[in-house]
Amino acid sequence: MRCLEILDIMQKLKIADKEFDSRLFVGTGKFASNQVMAEAIEASGTQMVTVALRRVDIDNENDDMLAAIDRTKYQLLPNTSGARDADEAVRLSRLARAASGIAWVKLEVTPDPYYLLPDGTETLKAAEILVKDGFIVLPYINADPILAKKLQDVGCATVMPLASPIGSNRGLNTRAAIEIIIEQATVPVVVDAGLGAPSHAAEAMEMGADAVLVNTAIATATQPIEMARAFKMAAEAGRIAYETGLAPKTTASASSPLTGFLRDET
Amino acid sequence: MSVTLKINGQGKTFEQGLPQTLAVLLDEMKIDAATVVAEIDGQIIERAAFAQTELKEGQSIELIRFVGGG
Repeated sequence: MRCLEILDIMQKLKIADKEFDSRLFVGTGKFASNQVMAEAIEASGTQMVTVALRRVDIDNENDDMLAAIDRTKYQLLPNTSGARDADEAVRLSRLARAASGIAWVKLEVTPDPYYLLPDGTETLKAAEILVKDGFIVLPYINADPILAKKLQDVGCATVMPLASPIGSNRGLNTRAAIEIIIEQATVPVVVDAGLGAPSHAAEAMEMGADAVLVNTAIATATQPIEMARAFKMAAEAGRIAYETGLAPKTTASASSPLTGFLRDET
Repeated sequence: MSVTLKINGQGKTFEQGLPQTLAVLLDEMKIDAATVVAEIDGQIIERAAFAQTELKEGQSIELIRFVGGG
C-alpha cells in the first residue's frame, strides 16, 4: 500500500508569481514571547507570516521580533494595521517596503475602533494606488462580493474576506457571502479574521477558500505551539476534502447493506 | 548650542548640537539601524542612505520597526 504525502496531493497555492505548499498563513501578534511565536510558526507549517509596523519606543529597549523569523523559510506579509484611511495605508505600505525590501502588503483600513471592521471604499482607493506603485496587494475586506470583484479588477493578488471581527474567534459568521466570493473570484480567496478553532479553518477550506489566515486563535491558545499544529492539520484536511469532493447531502442513505438482515421476511 | 528634533512625535533637545547624520543619531540612541525604517518630514529614507542623511534643526523624524501583528 502506498502512503500519500499530504503535500503531494494538495494543489499548490499560487499568489502573484509565488507558489506556496501551505495554505495556512499565520499572524505574529499577541504571542507571549518571540520564542513561542517562532515555534508556533514552525509547527504551523506556514510559509507566510504577517507583521505590523509601529513606532520605535525611544525610551525603552526594543525587541527585534524579525530576528526570530527565518526569512528564507517564511515570506513576510507586512500589514497596514492602524491605518484609518487610504493615505495612511499607502504610507504604511511604502514604509513596510522600505523596511522589508519586499512589496507584498496585507492592506487593511480599519477606522472603526470597536469592531475593527474594514472600510471598503478607502481600501479600494488605497489598492488602486498601491497596485500602480508595484505592490502585491492582499486586501482585508468585509465579506462583500461586489467589493471583492472591484479589488480583483484593479489588480489585487487576492481578496481576504473576514469570517467574523478580528480576534473574535467566532468563526464563519459570513459563510453565505464568502461562498459567493469563492464562486466568483478569479484570484485566491483567503479567509481572514475571526477563525477561532481548527474546525472553523477546516470549514472555510472545505468551502473552497484558497487559504486561511489565523493569529489570535493560535497566539492566545493555552498551548500555542500545539494549536498551530492543529490549525495546520485542519487547513490540510479541509483543503483535501474540497479537492477530493465532498459527498452530497441527502435526507438519509444507509451506509450498511439493506439486505441479509437476521430475520425472516414476512 | 541647543537644537531640537521631533522624534516619533516627541521633542528631543541636543545640547551639544545635532548628530551629524541619521546613522549617528540611531547609534547615540542605541537603536540597531538594521531593524528600523525612517521617515524625515514625510520622506522615507532608505536604510542604505542613513549614513549620508544629514539632520537639520526642527526636522520631524519617524523611526519605525516591525512588531508582531495579524
